[in-house]
Amino acid sequence: MSLLTKRHVIEGLQRAKTNKAQQHRDVLPTWCPGCGHFTPLQGVYEATERLNIHPKNLVLVSGIGCSGRFPFFVKGFGFHSLHGRGIPVATGIKIARPELTVVVAGGDGDGVGIGGGHFPHAARNNIDITYLLLDNSIYGLTKGQVSPTSPFGMISATTPYGNIGYPLNPSTLALTYGATFVARVFSRDRDECTEMVTQAIAHKGFSFVHVLSPCVEFNKFVTYGSIRETIAPLPSDYVPDDHVHAIQYAESASPVYHGVLFKTAKPTYSDHMQTVFEKMKGSPTN
Amino acid sequence: MKPPSSTSLASPSKPAGGTKAKRRDISVRFCGIAGDGVVTCGRILAGACASLGLDLMVNDIFSAEIRGKGKSTTTVRFSSRIVHSMGDGVEVLVGLAGKESIEEIKDVRPGGCVIYGSSIPGDLPEDDSLAAHVPPNIHGFGVPLRKLANQATGSNQGKNIVAMGALCYLYSLPQEAFIEQLRKNFGRKSSRALEVNIKAFTLGFEYCKEHYPLSFELEVLDTLEPRPLYTGNDALAHGALDWGLKFFAGYPITPATKIMEICAKELPKNGGWTIQVEDEIAAISNVMGAFFAGKRAMTSTAGPGLSLMSEMIGLAVMAEIPAVIVDVQRGGPATGMPTKVEQGDLNIALYGGAGDCPRVVMAPSTVRECYTGIQLALDLAEKYQTPVIFLSDLFLGQRMVTTSIPKRVERDRCTRKKPFPGELGTYERFKITEDGVSPLLIPGEEGGFYTITGLEHTPSGNPNFESNVHSMMTEKRYRKMKAMCVDLPPADVLGDKDALIGIVTWGSTLGSVVEGMELAREQGVKSKVLKSIMINPQHEDSFREFFASSARIIVPEVNYEGQYAALLKSRYGIQPVEMHISAVDPVSPAKIANRIIEVQDELTH
Repeated sequence: MSLLTKRHVIEGLQRAKTNKAQQHRDVLPTWCPGCGHFTPLQGVYEATERLNIHPKNLVLVSGIGCSGRFPFFVKGFGFHSLHGRGIPVATGIKIARPELTVVVAGGDGDGVGIGGGHFPHAARNNIDITYLLLDNSIYGLTKGQVSPTSPFGMISATTPYGNIGYPLNPSTLALTYGATFVARVFSRDRDECTEMVTQAIAHKGFSFVHVLSPCVEFNKFVTYGSIRETIAPLPSDYVPDDHVHAIQYAESASPVYHGVLFKTAKPTYSDHMQTVFEKMKGSPTN
Repeated sequence: MKPPSSTSLASPSKPAGGTKAKRRDISVRFCGIAGDGVVTCGRILAGACASLGLDLMVNDIFSAEIRGKGKSTTTVRFSSRIVHSMGDGVEVLVGLAGKESIEEIKDVRPGGCVIYGSSIPGDLPEDDSLAAHVPPNIHGFGVPLRKLANQATGSNQGKNIVAMGALCYLYSLPQEAFIEQLRKNFGRKSSRALEVNIKAFTLGFEYCKEHYPLSFELEVLDTLEPRPLYTGNDALAHGALDWGLKFFAGYPITPATKIMEICAKELPKNGGWTIQVEDEIAAISNVMGAFFAGKRAMTSTAGPGLSLMSEMIGLAVMAEIPAVIVDVQRGGPATGMPTKVEQGDLNIALYGGAGDCPRVVMAPSTVRECYTGIQLALDLAEKYQTPVIFLSDLFLGQRMVTTSIPKRVERDRCTRKKPFPGELGTYERFKITEDGVSPLLIPGEEGGFYTITGLEHTPSGNPNFESNVHSMMTEKRYRKMKAMCVDLPPADVLGDKDALIGIVTWGSTLGSVVEGMELAREQGVKSKVLKSIMINPQHEDSFREFFASSARIIVPEVNYEGQYAALLKSRYGIQPVEMHISAVDPVSPAKIANRIIEVQDELTH
């Protein structure tokens, strides 16, 4: 597998002229060559193509950080919000206009650091949005500070003597928060990433894709190489329908499993709103 | 010239046996502890007075604790004339909890009365009971509240309703109006609840009739029609609901929660929705998401919540996303005083957030303006693609008044500027226009795509940090504030138009100012007040004209710093007489009157 670079993506974009959600206007990706984020971006292009989603009905929401620029590179309506606030903005959009396809892209600092208070609630309410957490275990846009998913001992600009905090596991959080679709994918694997993003967008309910997306510029601890050493696909007989099982597999550190960890069918927030509307129609006081 | 005393509203004449002393307006304060039914008393008296067509205002004062020995009071002021404020002092104190009511006696005006619990008529025991503290210039009416309640209900409950019966007799109010309110209040519960409460009421009434020949009477000027009752929070919520609100996101906070509760109940009836979210940051984020998606959306909070929202409000300014944020102000800073009023959030509303950040700030002065003002707020937000901060306050939000709510039709509603078909091929989300307002395409519509961002950006929305682009876009954002003036209501001058003393105030303080001006006028001092719901932007010409026609300007407001005065000084270059009222209770009209008279004295000397 060759390293995905900006050049590859631009070439890919040019090849994929038929892609409905491909990059628009004059904005080219601002990410560094080799950045893991190109893979989920390509995933969104291909997923919206496969699912036949018209760009006018596609809304991309983000917070701040390298991942925050995601909406600029997609043809559709974009909302580049504030640090950590992608999820509540997306929630408001989805409740107001359930017919829109809403995708949130955020980083580890954005989603489980500053915005960590929002993630549980969109998940437990089963808001029908897709959340792509592009996890590079570092603050990249501010040039290399420790993040909530940085490993213990990691040396960074703000942990010069090593990180003495322990990392959290976003996939496990998604499961315990009540997400109804949880997948983990390595950004090296373009086909699986596209497949996971497609399944996530197609899923009815809160879908979460944890993308292990290394920062080639600032993170010397969590790298393509270090991830490749620990990562393994879920066993071929794994069935993603058992919540407790899914948490066990999500927590495994050696190996770190990738694939669809959990998937369940559950009425969405919008479905429950419809039920209330139906009741109101039948109510004599209305 | 003498300042008016706090008794100037009440006739000092003493009631004599068999005759009825006339009262121009009556304030009744019920004082008790949790479980005494103080609020119920207020609602029944207010309901009865409203059904008689009287004008009234109700103010509740609670401790922040739900349980325990927290004292609470409800004051109802009613009159056949317009009630602008809670006035100064009360005519009647009804002491449902004797000990807790003692400190309220200082507020009873001479010639007024105290209704207290006693075992024999006219009983004045030599202890720390309420009766022992009634001074000679105030009438004490002992009523065996507990005994009569027990007789009616078979329990200790019902003292409040016995006292209500006593009040009804002593102030010559029509019994039927009260019985009707009891029916409304208790009829839904059970027929027994209604029966025992009517009995309690009758026992109180009959007891006083038997023992106290003297009574008072309200001077009624006209035959009056029944009036509807609204609190500021009710009016605000219904104003928004009647004006196309489709989405509400909020987080519970005193004293704003009622607005969310009303929206939660009413919005789904018209296909709208209310979500209680995890914090105020999520609330404003949800609102901006919904407005971005093309639905009218609002949140309500108090100072601590507005503080949390400040960063997102900055994004709404930068990315030109409409949002309506209601702040029902309470005492601050920090958690401050959740159940007390203060006008302390003007600065954060005006200036909170990073950078050059123009936003609309409005402050209603009356319950009716809560209704009409929030509709204007929604219109301005949508039309001018801007956040609007709507500063109500605890006293305005929770006061209950008789008022009329105008019915407006949907076609009067402002809507967004849509792109012309010709613009669609080259659509620019932040197109430079004369009024600063860019045509807005919303998700799902054909003709262009864009990404909005909190980064500085070009007209097409792409991030750009060049100096000329930043200047151009900053100017565009400020230009909207100027352009908006065509849609703003003019500032009104109330009082004597030719007076040399001009008052400028904001929010709920206006009512006390209007009444203070009336008190000063009775002392021969004329004044006028400029009433504007707009804090930013303002019809600056009407302000300048007002200042030019006034020899002295007084700016009363309920905060320590003089936040509005600071704005007026910097905006208009005036040197006003500032009144920084550190009140936790509604502003005293007498204090305003005193100040007007003092300023007049300075002018003449």
